Amino acid sequence: MKKILSASVIVFMLFASGFWAKNIYAQDTQSGKTVMNEMLLAYYYPQTDAKSEISMRIVNRQGQVRQRRLTMLRLNQTSGGDQFYYIYFHEPADVKGMSFLVLKHLGRDDDRWMYLPAIDLVKRISSSDKRTSFAGSDFTYEDVSGRALDEDAHELIGEESLGTYSCQVVKSTPKRPGETEFSYRKFWIDKVTHLSLKVEHYDLKGKLYKVYETQEIQTIQGTPTITKAVMKDIENERYTEIAMKNVSYNVGITSDIFQERLLRRPPRQWIGE
Amino acid sequence: MLSKICGFILIAFILAISNSEVLFAESADPWTHIFDSVHGFTEAAYGHKFAGDKLAQKNSYNLLEQRLQLKVAYRPQKPAWLASLNPEFFYKGDLLADEYKETLRYHIREGYGLVSPLSWMDVKLGRQILTWGTGDYLFINDVFPKDYESFFIGRDDEYLKAPSDAGKFSIHGRLVSMDVVVIPSFTPDVSIRGDRLSFYDNFLGRIAGKESNRIFTEPAVQPANTEIATRLYRNFGEYETAIYAFKGFFNQPVGIKNESTKEIFYPKLAVFGASIRGPAPSVGGIASGEIGYSDSLQDRSGKNRLIENSAMKYLLGYERDFPKDWRIGMQYFVEQMLNFDEFKANSQPGDIPRDEFRQLLTFRITKLFRLQTLEMSLFTFYCPTDSDAYIRPRLAWQVNDHWKFTVGANIFFGKHDWTQFGQLEGNDNFYIRVRYSF
Repeated sequence: MKKILSASVIVFMLFASGFWAKNIYAQDTQSGKTVMNEMLLAYYYPQTDAKSEISMRIVNRQGQVRQRRLTMLRLNQTSGGDQFYYIYFHEPADVKGMSFLVLKHLGRDDDRWMYLPAIDLVKRISSSDKRTSFAGSDFTYEDVSGRALDEDAHELIGEESLGTYSCQVVKSTPKRPGETEFSYRKFWIDKVTHLSLKVEHYDLKGKLYKVYETQEIQTIQGTPTITKAVMKDIENERYTEIAMKNVSYNVGITSDIFQERLLRRPPRQWIGE
Repeated sequence: MLSKICGFILIAFILAISNSEVLFAESADPWTHIFDSVHGFTEAAYGHKFAGDKLAQKNSYNLLEQRLQLKVAYRPQKPAWLASLNPEFFYKGDLLADEYKETLRYHIREGYGLVSPLSWMDVKLGRQILTWGTGDYLFINDVFPKDYESFFIGRDDEYLKAPSDAGKFSIHGRLVSMDVVVIPSFTPDVSIRGDRLSFYDNFLGRIAGKESNRIFTEPAVQPANTEIATRLYRNFGEYETAIYAFKGFFNQPVGIKNESTKEIFYPKLAVFGASIRGPAPSVGGIASGEIGYSDSLQDRSGKNRLIENSAMKYLLGYERDFPKDWRIGMQYFVEQMLNFDEFKANSQPGDIPRDEFRQLLTFRITKLFRLQTLEMSLFTFYCPTDSDAYIRPRLAWQVNDHWKFTVGANIFFGKHDWTQFGQLEGNDNFYIRVRYSF
């Protein structure tokens, strides 16, 4: 009986993942896990593939600004499952042309490669720690490519309004506490788009130290997409703003391109100059 | 004088471009576009020599230079037949005001055209940097030229790789991919000759500096001397595998043509090898293994004491990251001289003693601070069989998106004068580099 139940949940999730984008009024959220899964699908898995140009502004305590500009390609192998990512750096000048290839796996370490054009080196990178900063920003690798649903226990703790948005609030607590720098996170997830509008990170002493906020959502090709967001590090008084430009879905990315060649020969049709 | 003027020009150039962003952002003429596509850096570097053996040309420093690197890529959109090949032309050149050598040099590091005549084929023709294999500062199947002088005096890691004038033909298949590299004109490693770094000169039988007067003979540029390197590779799940084959020459002058005139040359060489790389089971991190058979074609029996013997080379590597931006890497390298009995039987007094199995351990530790803007790293080579070692500590600070400060050191230890690192003991140095990227 239990098996049938969990099988039907899985089928439901798979079905829903392709469906939610359109059926935006599906509000039959029961548990925290379901809400969180909806969020993961809406944020990390919309459509089959995506191309976006990402700008980051990293501002430190002194107000000094560093900027990153990169193009990201994403392809889902299965919705809610393994994914391919390709990241190409346009700016700053000293990393221009550098690229990353990531095969994201649920349940084991990602496969990650880096290409350094100046020495024509394809380097395999160990990815045991997903909590490292992404490109020197306040976002982590996990923030960019997603944290697996099963890593945390998700508890629906209430409903709250954020501005005009009506949100469900989920508290996510890591199942293996030693591996993260937070003891738990609180998500404000919009009931309509299923995107998180705010995420609070609490440290091991239970103190709030990091806050993520969505600043702009646009509907692109029928898909609600976060196009501006900020991650504030309260403890260190710094923040990173992130903005997505030229987002398009279903641009025709296929799995066979995610090979070493992609690193040595960047796909100009998607990344431009 | 000349280099001072150049230094001044470089500084003026830095100031000009650091102020130019605002100006260029406003105007949208074609020049803006061209200027936008030019990138590079200017760098000033100084490397101080510790009280060394005072044998080189200059003895208080071995690095004092200003460099301007410019690179530009051009991807023509017409004519249509050319655009359909997805063409890319890339050019990267270095203007170097080298106060050590008292020269002003312009060096083209890369200058190539890259096209895809077929959807599954890439052709890259021209001067290019070539790299493959799994080693970290250790090379078995990467037979392409290196510049160890740059490596030992504190230039950026980029300069360890020297360019080749070559054609690279790549075929990408579903089951297997292949690279074929054709190098018509042999390019050797940048050798240590005593003018900047002292070394063990086996003709003199001691550490020598600028007085070393070996004569280097490179293979003639002729069709028969074309070097060919190939790599066949594919992934099995998360494991990358490759096999390699090479026919050409040693990149180091490991052959003696004439002992009395101190003529040395680059003997013929073939290398066959294989490598594998992937996640280490259960412990996490990346493990790799590489093997190579180095076939010394002009001394296959090992009887000729004037030419390097054939060898087997083995490499095991492991790298892992840890929370808070820690990363460690370890390698174990073994070089087995083949026909060792012949080597021993034919050695003469004064020849450099060698072990049948030379073992080398490397250890890398890296830690990033302050949102990855400050990098502290230490790379160590330790050779228990030669009883020598080489350590490379480095601290690099990315001040902002343009400025980068790097300080580091190259320190050598050795029991004997003739071993790989031991011979460099008189060249210990620390260096500082300031770079502005644009």
